[in-house]
Amino acid sequence: MEKLNEQQPVKSRPTIPAIPSVERRMFMRQLGLTAASVTALMTACTREVTDVNPVTGRASARMGASVLPDGTIDLGSGDIGIANLAYSLEQLETAFYATALERATGLSAQDRKVLEELHDHELVHREFFKGILTNNAIPMLEFNFSNINFNDRYGVFDAAQQFENLGVAAYNGAGPLLEDVEMLKLAGKIVSVEARHATLTLNMLRPKTYFSLGHELIDVLGRDWFRTPVEAAMKAQPFIKQKLSVANLPTY
Amino acid sequence: MNLFAILSDIEKRDAEAYERIAFSRRKLLKTTAYAAVGTTTLLTTTLNKAFAANSEVVDVFNFALLLEYLEAEFYAMGLARPGLIPESDRMVFMKIGEHEQQHVQLLKSLLGADAIAKPMFDFTGGGKYPTVFSDYQTFLVLSQSFEDLGVRAYKGQAPRLKGDKQILQTALRIHSVEARHAAEVRLIRGLRVWASEQETGGAPKAIYEGENLVRQHDLVDLVSVTKPMIKQQGGNTEQTDTEIVRESFDEPLSKEKVLAIAGPFVKATP
Repeated sequence: MEKLNEQQPVKSRPTIPAIPSVERRMFMRQLGLTAASVTALMTACTREVTDVNPVTGRASARMGASVLPDGTIDLGSGDIGIANLAYSLEQLETAFYATALERATGLSAQDRKVLEELHDHELVHREFFKGILTNNAIPMLEFNFSNINFNDRYGVFDAAQQFENLGVAAYNGAGPLLEDVEMLKLAGKIVSVEARHATLTLNMLRPKTYFSLGHELIDVLGRDWFRTPVEAAMKAQPFIKQKLSVANLPTY
Repeated sequence: MNLFAILSDIEKRDAEAYERIAFSRRKLLKTTAYAAVGTTTLLTTTLNKAFAANSEVVDVFNFALLLEYLEAEFYAMGLARPGLIPESDRMVFMKIGEHEQQHVQLLKSLLGADAIAKPMFDFTGGGKYPTVFSDYQTFLVLSQSFEDLGVRAYKGQAPRLKGDKQILQTALRIHSVEARHAAEVRLIRGLRVWASEQETGGAPKAIYEGENLVRQHDLVDLVSVTKPMIKQQGGNTEQTDTEIVRESFDEPLSKEKVLAIAGPFVKATP
């Protein structure tokens, strides 16, 4: 499992345009949630709106993730909360593929090639979110894949398609809740890659069928599956050792 | 065919649309809370009323509708041509065609009276693909082209829908279905499922222009960050690392560029 926590090279800090007023309003809404958030609120309200930058952090680090006294990881609120959810899911997918490549039996060379490709994309996504979240990022998570059958390729690809489809649903559900249009653009660039992954993993099970096209996930209006950020986090929770707090995630 | 002409007709009608939408929106705010959507009717009624009181949504959805009309008709014609699609792949194209038809219906019902009519199509692309409905490989090239183009088109328009969560969610949920289609068709063709400039599979190059970004936003070079952690062992490691990063992100395409590519396939409005 130690391979799941690879060394992270030091990166310079990227910048994402500030979304000051919105984040400030978010602070207002969260009044009274916890003692910690009240403190945050008081601090935030005294700040100049213009120097709050929720993704790059500086003035708004308190918006980001926090580890609560009992070890629970709060994903944070607003766009940071959504980015941390995405970061969690990308961590989960990367760790799953790494574990499958280490542990799974009964895989063909082609199966392994596909899993490697998927692993590498998810790793890029993971590092991307880590990069934009900087000091607002949640820690590296630990995972529990004990319910996944790594003894044959069907177990592996069935789990893979579930993670990939959850990814699609999570981005579809979170996109409309993003405040920063830059974040929306970035999420859009990733979700279609997740949909391509989902299609590939479904095809590894039952190629060229209604199933491989995600038939069961697409409604009669031709719309793909979606999960709200809270629902998506709950779906991922059984595979994550730490408890996630979704209390501050944006809702519809 | 100048698609801007088709779409500018709509803009003339936008002033009226604005009034009507603004009115129903005001009424909506007074009378109901919009949640619980289950049936088509309820959904479309709800979203119609939610049509952000500006012409952005109408403009974006008509642009999307044009592309969905094109795809839906393309598959309907392909499926109707005996012997074109092999039995082994027929199920896939039936399902894809059904999705495109559902997208047409959904967008039409959301747009109501503002929906553009279905234009006439020329799937030979002005003579460039004369065997589109007699040679399966040509049919597949165009299918991949339309699907990958559709993905980029929706992606490019999403920011314009940001004013309304339900509307944006609808567009995003169609967008990912298009990406599923694109991947499926690329798999049928034995191509890698990711869009890239270097693997166009014979589709017009313009569809993949700009797909090879390695820096997202202004983040530092993801290639050097991820290089020590990747699993794939390519012959030329440098190139492989770069490709992995390129493939990990799909890029948007502007409406103008999408219309320029789709133009040769649209003949006229009825």
